[in-house]
Amino acid sequence: MNITLLIILCALVTFIPRVIPAIFMERLNFSPKFEKFLNLIPYTALAALICPGVLTVDPNLWYIGLIGAVIAGGLAWKKVPLGAIVILTVIVLVAVYLIVPFFPVLI
Amino acid sequence: MHGLRLGIPITFGYIPMGIGYAALAIKAGLTPFETVSMSVLIYAGAGQIMIATMLAQGATLFNIVLTSFVLNFRYFVMNTCIYNKVDDASLAVRIPSSHLAVDEAFAMFMLMEESSIWTYIGLAGIAWISWIFGAIIGVIVLNVLPIIVANSFNISLYALFVALLVPAVKESKELAILVVITAILNVVLQFFIGNWSLIIAILLGALIGMYIVDDDTVLGDAYKTADENCSNKEVQQ
Repeated sequence: MNITLLIILCALVTFIPRVIPAIFMERLNFSPKFEKFLNLIPYTALAALICPGVLTVDPNLWYIGLIGAVIAGGLAWKKVPLGAIVILTVIVLVAVYLIVPFFPVLI
Repeated sequence: MHGLRLGIPITFGYIPMGIGYAALAIKAGLTPFETVSMSVLIYAGAGQIMIATMLAQGATLFNIVLTSFVLNFRYFVMNTCIYNKVDDASLAVRIPSSHLAVDEAFAMFMLMEESSIWTYIGLAGIAWISWIFGAIIGVIVLNVLPIIVANSFNISLYALFVALLVPAVKESKELAILVVITAILNVVLQFFIGNWSLIIAILLGALIGMYIVDDDTVLGDAYKTADENCSNKEVQQ
């Protein structure tokens, strides 16, 4: 695939919706229904991106992604800041990778 | 300047997130230059991560561009509110600054009293710079990191996705149900339409959500304030 073309096209389809309201400053009216639909998209997008992708984080060990997701979810539940969640989850997975070779059952 | 300081909390989230994105992009086969270019030119956190994920999964160019459009279309709504709130500014300021719209900067700006476009540019600009900076650190650091650590970085985007979803799901049972429905839809649809399942599941999920999720839940505090600001302006006019 032509990556340069991909980047340019994605930049365009992202920038155009951003710039239109800046040019036409007056309020562009949406029906509340359409606005609700748009507001729901980030949640459904996250859901679809997580599942089933999270199980393929490591194609050889499906549970690695699951462990990470559970840890991140637990930390988020406890209201740990976003950046800290990412870093802590990575650290835990490094630990898991270090431990796994000692338990052949897990592989 | 004032805006720059206000944006600092965002940088704490964006730098690690930028590193996570870079890890994924490199894994998906992008060069360091392409990886950083995307952060500069596209500048859409979840959007870029999705591009890298889809590339790694072998999606087509058209499919990726279309999904980006759908996922990033919310910036249209955000900018409608932002440019409605700011004091009058020239086109030369408005057009380039529109590129800076992201969820976090939008939420912060709509929740504050100030309406100077420079305050907004300060806080949204530092978010942009820290996102790019994160990607640069990412592409450099990943070359030196041991393989286990680099592998573990694969989880960073999912950790982020989960961390973004959990607070919303915790607040609303209906949203939690919708998340589960969308996830199942995506898995099932994959058997029938392959890579198209992502975008179809996102849209179908949002459609279903319109019926099962409460209005108040979806329009979070930032959106509520944003809405009030937008309509206040209207009343004044």
